[in-house]
Amino acid sequence: MIKATNVTKIFTGRGQTVRAVDGVCAEVAQGEVVVVIGPSGSGKSTFLRCINGLEQFNAGSIVIDGVDLANKKTDINKVRAEVGMVFQQFNLFPHKTVLENITLAQKIVRKRDRAAAEAKARQLLVKVGIAEKEMEYPSRLSGGQQQRVAIARALAMDPKIMLFDEPTSALDPEMVGEVLDVMKQLAREGMTMVVVTHEMGFAREVADRVIFMDEGKLVEEGTPEHFFTEPREERAKLFLKQVL
Amino acid sequence: MLATQRLWPWKLLLAVILIGMAAGIWGAVNRIDYTWRWNRVPDYFFYIDEESRQIPFDGRVKSIIENGDVTTVALLSETGETVQVAIETETLRVTEGEELFEGDIVGFASEWSLGPLMTGLWTTLWLSGGASVLALIIGMLTGLARISRNYTLRGLSALYVEFIRGTPLLVQIFIAYFFIGTVFDLSRNVAGMGALAIFAGAYVAEIVRAGIQSISKGQMEAARSLGMNLIQAMVYIVLPQAFKRILPPLSGQFISLIKDSSLVSVIAITDLTKSGREIITSTFATFEIWLTVAAMYLIVTSVLSQLVFYMERRLAVSD
Ligand SMILES: Nc1ncnc2c1ncn2[C@@H]1O[C@H](COP(=O)(O)OP(=O)(O)O)[C@@H](O)[C@H]1O
Ligand SMILES: [Mg+2]
Repeated sequence: MIKATNVTKIFTGRGQTVRAVDGVCAEVAQGEVVVVIGPSGSGKSTFLRCINGLEQFNAGSIVIDGVDLANKKTDINKVRAEVGMVFQQFNLFPHKTVLENITLAQKIVRKRDRAAAEAKARQLLVKVGIAEKEMEYPSRLSGGQQQRVAIARALAMDPKIMLFDEPTSALDPEMVGEVLDVMKQLAREGMTMVVVTHEMGFAREVADRVIFMDEGKLVEEGTPEHFFTEPREERAKLFLKQVL
Repeated sequence: MLATQRLWPWKLLLAVILIGMAAGIWGAVNRIDYTWRWNRVPDYFFYIDEESRQIPFDGRVKSIIENGDVTTVALLSETGETVQVAIETETLRVTEGEELFEGDIVGFASEWSLGPLMTGLWTTLWLSGGASVLALIIGMLTGLARISRNYTLRGLSALYVEFIRGTPLLVQIFIAYFFIGTVFDLSRNVAGMGALAIFAGAYVAEIVRAGIQSISKGQMEAARSLGMNLIQAMVYIVLPQAFKRILPPLSGQFISLIKDSSLVSVIAITDLTKSGREIITSTFATFEIWLTVAAMYLIVTSVLSQLVFYMERRLAVSD
């Protein structure tokens, strides 16, 4: 589903160059849930953003469902419609109601008519457990509710892959659970997911595979049982000691 | 509760100060020798225009039908053509059957006409209205060009904004009319409206640029991550939000434009200010006319700001 080979992303600015992602190779199979962990600044977000073209990488290749992102002829908008993304800061559209947030892209990107888009939106709102809020504006919702709407908004495009960039990091602790529950359900339904998170419990429970990144490099990769109990790399051990 | 109780002394003080100022001005004016003629001012808004009605051919009066204040006179030409003329009954100058020559006066009709203050106001309104629409278009495009990825577009728009903001509007109007207007053979109205539009456009561009940049990058990214292209993301997501933030400074700009439009009177466009000046040359009612003109500008601008205030409240529902 996703095949990343030697992906490298370099930021240059104010005379500094940062190798935010440095030769990362990773594969994600259909239906697999991969959790990416690592210290802050290790390039997790940047890698995730390369996968849906929000960042353009400088070297390497990413192939999604047979489509090569580095190919100039690739229509990145088509790829993005197949790859849902959930952000740490939710990024709901504040001038649109919950329902409009979920129907807008369906209408203008997927060309669905209003009735079909709304039916889809309502069905997803039930699924994420906030059916009663469809006419509210995002500013009236709690963080947990907003993030669930953001998940519904991404799912409405019928994506083949869902990317999550620290979806619970901006939430008050008591709201983390409701968002993770929605993600767990998605995983059970067989969605292909790449999740950047600091929720080790979620990684243990849901991940098929864990990727550990540090300083832009993929340092260690393995099943959660392996990674959390007997990591090979020193840096991974050090990191786990700090977070667990 | 405490706050409202303590407000009235300040209100009183405000009233006392205002009355004091008015009295001071009144006293000062009375010391110079000035005859107030407020009674003449209304005529410059509306006046009754008495116009003669003449027979358009050689002929005679066929019939006169009186109907209260208005009398209808039917005129018959030698070739058998009939024409009806409506005049005021008191001003009737002909009798039934009378022979008339072309151009003879049958009577007078009077109608309400707009005085110079109203026609001047109208000129000011369409001039600044038209310039506002153009400025909005220019400013939108320039604002987008300012944040474009293309170097040439960025450079051009930056030069335009710098040039316009760095020179006085009065000089720009002179350049637009005497230089550009002469080269391209533009009328004074086109040159005047163009100069105002280009002037305001530069400020609108900066407002638009700042407005768009104030919308968080995450909004654009969320829209793009859903598969919208750049234009769709701009049109559906970024611009509507930016518009809400832009509205207050933008309306301030348009209110300024109405006031700045008074400068076009220097190229002999008869706007409200020029009308005021023309009235004064014939009446010497200097004080009354300038106070009236100021009040008229004030009314227009405050109606506009009330309108914007109302719109802002409507747009605030999603906050
Ligand atoms: N837009 C950017 N411009 C410059 N440097 C950036 C940018 N985005 C991220 N970086 C840098 O790239 C590195 C990786 O950042 P990021 O991918 O956000 O890490 P993580 O998500 O693991 O915390 C950091 O050193 C960060 O400062
Ligand atoms: Mg991050």
